[in-house]
Amino acid sequence: MNSNKRRLWGEWLLTAPSFIWLTLFFLLPTLIIFAISFKPSDPLGGVGPGWTLRTLLSLRNPNYPEIIWRTAVLSITTTVVCIALAIPIAYYIARCKAWKRDLVLFLTIIPFWTSFLIRIFAWKGVLHPDGLLKQALVFCNLISPDTLLLYRPGTVLLVMIYTELPFAILPLYAAAEKFDFSLIEAAMDLGAGRLRAFCSVFIPGISSGLLSACLMVLIPSIGSYVVPDVVGGIGSEMIGNVIAQKTFVDRNLPAASAMAALMTLSMLIPLLFFLRGNKGKNQEPKPAREVV
Amino acid sequence: MEDFLWFKDITKDFGATRAVDNVSLTVRRGEIFSLLGPSGCGKTTLLRMLAGFEAPDTGRIILENQDITDLPPNLRRVNTIFQNYALFPHMTVRENIAFGLKVAKKPKAIIAAEVDRMLAMIQMQDHADKRPAQISGGQKQRVAIARALVLKPNVLLLDEPLAALDRKLRQKMLLELSLIHDEVGITFIYVTHDQGEAMSISDRIAVMNNGRIEQIGTPAEIYEAPKSSFVAAFIGDTNFFDGRITEVLDPEYCRISVPDLPDMLCFNDKKLAKGDLVHLSIRPEKFQISLDPPHAGVKYNVLRGVVEDIIYQGDHTRYWVNVGEDWRISISRQHTRFMLDEKPINWHDTVFISWFADDGFMLERYSEKDEELLPTPPQTVGESDAPLEDESDEQDTEAENRP
Amino acid sequence: MLKKSRIPGILTWLTLLFFYFPIVLLVINSFNVTRTGGSWGGFTLRWYRDLFGAREIWNALRNTLVVAFTATGASTIIGTTAAIALHRYKGRLQNAHYGLIYTPLVVPEILLGISLLLFFVALKIELGLATVTIAHITFCTSYVTMAVLSRLQDFDLTILEAARDLGANTWTTTWKVLIPVISPGIIAGALLAFTLSLDDFVISFFVAGPGSTTLPIHIYSMIRRGSMPLINALSTILLAITFLAILAYQMINKKRTGQ
Repeated sequence: MNSNKRRLWGEWLLTAPSFIWLTLFFLLPTLIIFAISFKPSDPLGGVGPGWTLRTLLSLRNPNYPEIIWRTAVLSITTTVVCIALAIPIAYYIARCKAWKRDLVLFLTIIPFWTSFLIRIFAWKGVLHPDGLLKQALVFCNLISPDTLLLYRPGTVLLVMIYTELPFAILPLYAAAEKFDFSLIEAAMDLGAGRLRAFCSVFIPGISSGLLSACLMVLIPSIGSYVVPDVVGGIGSEMIGNVIAQKTFVDRNLPAASAMAALMTLSMLIPLLFFLRGNKGKNQEPKPAREVV
Repeated sequence: MEDFLWFKDITKDFGATRAVDNVSLTVRRGEIFSLLGPSGCGKTTLLRMLAGFEAPDTGRIILENQDITDLPPNLRRVNTIFQNYALFPHMTVRENIAFGLKVAKKPKAIIAAEVDRMLAMIQMQDHADKRPAQISGGQKQRVAIARALVLKPNVLLLDEPLAALDRKLRQKMLLELSLIHDEVGITFIYVTHDQGEAMSISDRIAVMNNGRIEQIGTPAEIYEAPKSSFVAAFIGDTNFFDGRITEVLDPEYCRISVPDLPDMLCFNDKKLAKGDLVHLSIRPEKFQISLDPPHAGVKYNVLRGVVEDIIYQGDHTRYWVNVGEDWRISISRQHTRFMLDEKPINWHDTVFISWFADDGFMLERYSEKDEELLPTPPQTVGESDAPLEDESDEQDTEAENRP
Repeated sequence: MLKKSRIPGILTWLTLLFFYFPIVLLVINSFNVTRTGGSWGGFTLRWYRDLFGAREIWNALRNTLVVAFTATGASTIIGTTAAIALHRYKGRLQNAHYGLIYTPLVVPEILLGISLLLFFVALKIELGLATVTIAHITFCTSYVTMAVLSRLQDFDLTILEAARDLGANTWTTTWKVLIPVISPGIIAGALLAFTLSLDDFVISFFVAGPGSTTLPIHIYSMIRRGSMPLINALSTILLAITFLAILAYQMINKKRTGQ
């Protein structure tokens, strides 16, 4: 019995710091989002006293459906494009010679670790009205000189793909590295064409990585805020921008909180979907950062 | 040899599974004692309770008049060789061996001397400053042994110590282990699922199944006089016949009738009476097989059958012979003479098989579960379907395929 | 042997081009006399000079480093104990514990930011370096835990039993065997935490107060204000640091595994 007690004590000692910290600074704040959605705002930018439904009703703003729709379209498109690009890339990296693999991985990891503000900003330089790309396109007569490259939903999509792509490649590569490539030869030996072998053997073989990659791209995309803020203009805002605007410009924290609550709930949909798909595999999608 | 280690009425449950079921056994000083059984039989659990990694639910463990049941592992004078050696990867060979002495705060000079002595014993002086990742499997094994023996334990526990090695190396290490045992003279408790290992190294063996001990005895006792059909089937291969005693002949022998087969003459060691149901076990190597009728003596049984399958294995050949409708007998024949001179026995040949009445032994009826342990072509001995007790037990089932 | 398809290779190198095109352009422009970078106006180090003269940047850098070092230290300790607990014990408590550790990894930064901001506002805690540090410790802890946990899972931890078997008590086993063996995981976790903390913009932006501007927040305001050449120069320096850090880390790693 004594040893049992000691064991329990040891477990608490090791668990308490993180458990208490995260309960205090992650779980409670997340719950507070929902609580504050029922609070009125106060003119000083704080949270007013009492409870109200008005804050939630403010979500009926006629602009919001469009913003929510845009958020969904942009983040799903980003995910699809990133995964579609990342699968063949992961395949290539896993199959190439050691030195080449190290080089490509190294080149993929650098943007992965570079501050994403810098990476977004770099596009601003490229797409700038006086920038190189614009001049090149005008020179080739592809666009007229007064076409704007910046501040359009398309630009937002491009830069989102740019920032998220490494997060799709690395988990997929980690899965592809463990894949037994003789299975592809076996499939071709059994009469499958190259594409067929790739689709029906390789892709299912890396399904756990596929799941992580999807989640790791989709969820930050739903929450994007900096990309549309820096390279997008009016008409390319996403939910994140509304939250930021309510917080920093309107100083209406309850409204920001209601929007955040909406985002949290919308996040649960893909999350539950993925976790269900992953059931039985007993393994959560791993965050991309951790894979490296 | 005096008794000095006792397990008394040990029981241990893991959830709903009873891993060890009321086990009592005694180990003598200086012997090599094996715990042998299929995976999930409780042997590893028993060993871990002795090492102190598990606590029994009931029962006591007594080592040299001291009750060590509640002692933590670091206070027991018992050391373990783990299946995967569990060498510390961040320490050199020398540091690994010195670890226990350092923990015990022995003077530096003594540590150095003891470690050198051990390095010499395992002939690893030249590799003393390498890390575990830089040495071979056999070398790791020796370092693990030295690391445990340097502490001069009362008992050395070996948990499937050879399972991670390939077959050739296993034979070599087995010999080395018994040489080391002769040199240090301490008690070894050896856990394995490989009956060959257990037979060749042990002074005594405890055969375990489903958490219980089926039989304890010397290797020869266990092979020649198994007490249960489980032991008979698990140790080596055997052929079982179910029958009923039809006649008791003078005090020693009886006649057994087996459905579809001629009556068999058998040594009546259990002193059973007429009408009793028996379960007769005959080892494959006890049979003679020939194309011509044998010149059998009075106490011989002879059956006629058709060869169904032949597996040539170099030193011996295994035949599967169909006798009667449902009976297939496994026979092993040693090649003591140059084989190609004889007229070969071929597939579908009609053959005579015979055995001496004293070579069969009677057992209680076997259970459904034991059925899986019966040999089936091409010679595999299946594992028991008991729940797995840990992963270490799962490895190397092919080691059990021996005649 | 069948010829391999060239499509994946071509796609990979095109993607790398896509990755580096804006970055290379940015680096070149940081030495460009022309402000907007559309054309090459000549080589200059002027932007770097201006950068080193900008006081706010040094302030922001100092804030960033203070936060990063504190957050790394705290989250490495909390994360390591958490990983050991998760690995050593099973049961309902650890399932809940794992949920708490895992969820912050899949929640968008903006939600972590806004929720902490609301939390601090609700408790009337003044925003400043302290709140930024708390926020950073929170998300870094999860990453450190995962890094250490994956190391723990890779390892054959029978060696812990071996140490106990050889006479070591729990304390000695932890310090002489467990910690040395998982130290690569701890170091990786700490590096991860440090980098994440240095880079973090979104969460910091929400919980920062006056006087607690970090470097990413400062860069953001520069982007908004549009002083492009200065950001080009600053970005180039940061890129160089990232590049060298990764190179060094990989070299060390290779040396260790190569042995």
